[in-house]
Amino acid sequence: MATASVTTAGVGTSEQYNYDIVRKFAIMTLVWGAIGMFVGVYIASELAFPFLNFDSAYITFGRLRPVHTSGVIFGFGGSALFATSYYVVQRTCQARLFGGERLANFTFWGWQAAVALSALGYMFGYTQAREYAEMVWPVDLLILVVWVSYLAIYVGTLMKRKQPHIYVANWFYLAFILATALLHIFNNLQVPVKLFSLESYSLFSGTQDAMTQWWYGHNAVGFFLTAAFLGMMYYFVPKQAGRPVYSYRLSILHFWAIIFLYMWAGAHHLHWTALPDWTGTLAATFSIMLLLPSWGGMINGIMTLSGAWDKLRTDPVIRFLIVALSFYGMSTFEGPMMSLKDVNALSHYTDWTVGHVHSGALGWVAMITFGSMYHMVPRIWNTQMYSLRLINVHFWLATIGVLLYIVAMWISGIMQGLMWRAFDDFGNLQYSFVESVAVAHPFYVMRALGGAFFLTGMIIMCYNMYRTIRQGSTEAHAGLNVATA
Amino acid sequence: MEWLLWFTRFENTKPLSLAIFFIVFCGILFYVFGSKKRGERLESHKNIPLQDDEI
Amino acid sequence: MKHDKIERNLGILLVFTMLAISAGGMVEIIPLFFIKETIEKVEGVRPYTPLEQRGRDIYTREGCYLCHSQMIRPFRDEALRYGHYSLAAESKYDHPFQWGSKRTGPDLARVGGKYSNDWHTQHLIAPRSLVPQSVMPNYPWLAKTNLDYSDIELRLKALRTTGVPYSNSQAEYERNVKDFGEDVAKTLHIPDAEKNLVAQAKLGNYDTDPSNITELDALVAYLQVLGTMVDFKKYDDDYFVKFR
Repeated sequence: MATASVTTAGVGTSEQYNYDIVRKFAIMTLVWGAIGMFVGVYIASELAFPFLNFDSAYITFGRLRPVHTSGVIFGFGGSALFATSYYVVQRTCQARLFGGERLANFTFWGWQAAVALSALGYMFGYTQAREYAEMVWPVDLLILVVWVSYLAIYVGTLMKRKQPHIYVANWFYLAFILATALLHIFNNLQVPVKLFSLESYSLFSGTQDAMTQWWYGHNAVGFFLTAAFLGMMYYFVPKQAGRPVYSYRLSILHFWAIIFLYMWAGAHHLHWTALPDWTGTLAATFSIMLLLPSWGGMINGIMTLSGAWDKLRTDPVIRFLIVALSFYGMSTFEGPMMSLKDVNALSHYTDWTVGHVHSGALGWVAMITFGSMYHMVPRIWNTQMYSLRLINVHFWLATIGVLLYIVAMWISGIMQGLMWRAFDDFGNLQYSFVESVAVAHPFYVMRALGGAFFLTGMIIMCYNMYRTIRQGSTEAHAGLNVATA
Repeated sequence: MEWLLWFTRFENTKPLSLAIFFIVFCGILFYVFGSKKRGERLESHKNIPLQDDEI
Repeated sequence: MKHDKIERNLGILLVFTMLAISAGGMVEIIPLFFIKETIEKVEGVRPYTPLEQRGRDIYTREGCYLCHSQMIRPFRDEALRYGHYSLAAESKYDHPFQWGSKRTGPDLARVGGKYSNDWHTQHLIAPRSLVPQSVMPNYPWLAKTNLDYSDIELRLKALRTTGVPYSNSQAEYERNVKDFGEDVAKTLHIPDAEKNLVAQAKLGNYDTDPSNITELDALVAYLQVLGTMVDFKKYDDDYFVKFR
């Protein structure tokens, strides 16, 4: 990998931009995608067939689940965001990355180390026990340093730009970097047990801790998994479609609306808890309002294709991007609905929430990443995709996988919610808890199957990319040999 | 910090926030769609990603 | 202010973006630290004893919160299934909070005292031997691993830094006697932490094997105290409504 990227450097495009760092992050996107999704399928299978825990501490559901979430969110999603943001900011600013190779490479190695260390740490029982922020405090500090470097590179590159205007995709990436820094710092205030201990206790407790954590948790979704990927969308959809975005003014409008409104909505994760009611009500109100800017983004992306709908039939990459936007529209409708207190009373604590997360994470985040990668990877290796047919196969496997997953979770989730609150004629509870576990079994199997479909697609993508990259490197070598001969 | 308590009472925050959001929203809306000339200039930026290959 | 400026001027874009993303968090989080009504005034809620706190550490280490909530909602079915709805006061010494977000297994906020120590021991080692349809992993290593309590004083000191009233001086101890009564105050005294931990494990015999102190002892001690601190018979139900 390293040798391939070194040898291609200085060949072809004469490297006006720093593509070496983009290549590194692109490869790790694939690696973490495969690892993270594999762990996801495994833990889904553990819930269907508990013997898969094999009485081993390291691979029990409770320890592997953060490995899955960190692997896919920070490993796969994070690497994809680093890769695409470095690519987009250089190309839309027509400037090479600020800070030189060294700083960029530091963000690469620092980020990979953080994800790998946290994943290994969870398996050995080192965790902060905060959902999606389980990394222990030394890893948190590493992430902080990496993130500050990332911000410096990004802002520095924007300052070097040759374009007078900053393209809107960069606004989204910038908001994501700033918001993630803010969330990361305040949600990880910890008191270590001692200086050389990986263990620590959170500074806040109970209600305050819960509110801080879900302010973080919700906005990790809002900025890490939404705003940043909208930035991706605003570059790669127009590029792949070969036409400019539908309405630039709409993009300005929904940018400000989305970054403002998102930050208020976190408390809807804590409806009916010991958190004061006013917070939840406020959060629900903002969650409903959030529907408008979310759909603004979806419409803007999909309408970019207006007048060129035939591309949907001929170009599998466009298909990935458009289906991603459709799932985005669906889950941003489902989300506000679930934030209504009465719906939440039924859906909270059930599999419905898990299904909702995955319709966003698989349907939107992963699909838009796949589409963008299929566009970007051949360009940075100066070649063509190895096989369009395999992209098509990947598309169908991914789509069927997501559908199986969310349908299974809808059914089991709503069933759990209804069973928990069912009364018999005498006013007693109709079902014991474990009955609701037992009926979920077939749907847990179905969910694991959906995940397996999605994972298979991911592995096919890895193979397709491997062949593409090798093809790109050989062509570069051939070119080099001709030049030196 | 006692003044923050004011924000926890809905009879205060509802009309206040409604007013603020509405005014800001109208402001942005007017800015974005109010003038034809400005609109054309803003829309011209959407070609930035498509220009990069030529350089 | 012209929007054109924002688009061209990076500094202004940065500042406006920061303003937009800070507002929501500030309005919703900061008041929680100042509003006195956020946390109910109830008797009985106390910090965890050293053994219970070590059990809690194991609870977080194993990721129990990913399948079990500790937050009962104010619904009739939850009252029948789990008990009185959870109060904010009941988790005020929880660093970190463990309310959870998913019930793959049942809520544990009031599991304390519902089952015997024997039941918990057997259930943790092999859940399906008691509940055949359960999907919980077996945790046999908890019974085989001796509890490491060498750093218990440091742990309580760290928690004291976050604001949990463990006592490290005579004055603090006397304050605790006043707040919690002498019996509880003794268990919160940091210099005696190790002695108290061993004594509670020996007396409680949580994992039904008196020969050693295992991780299972600590975990069961923690589970058995969950939700038992407040005596709800003392309060009229309307009392809690005003805090919501």
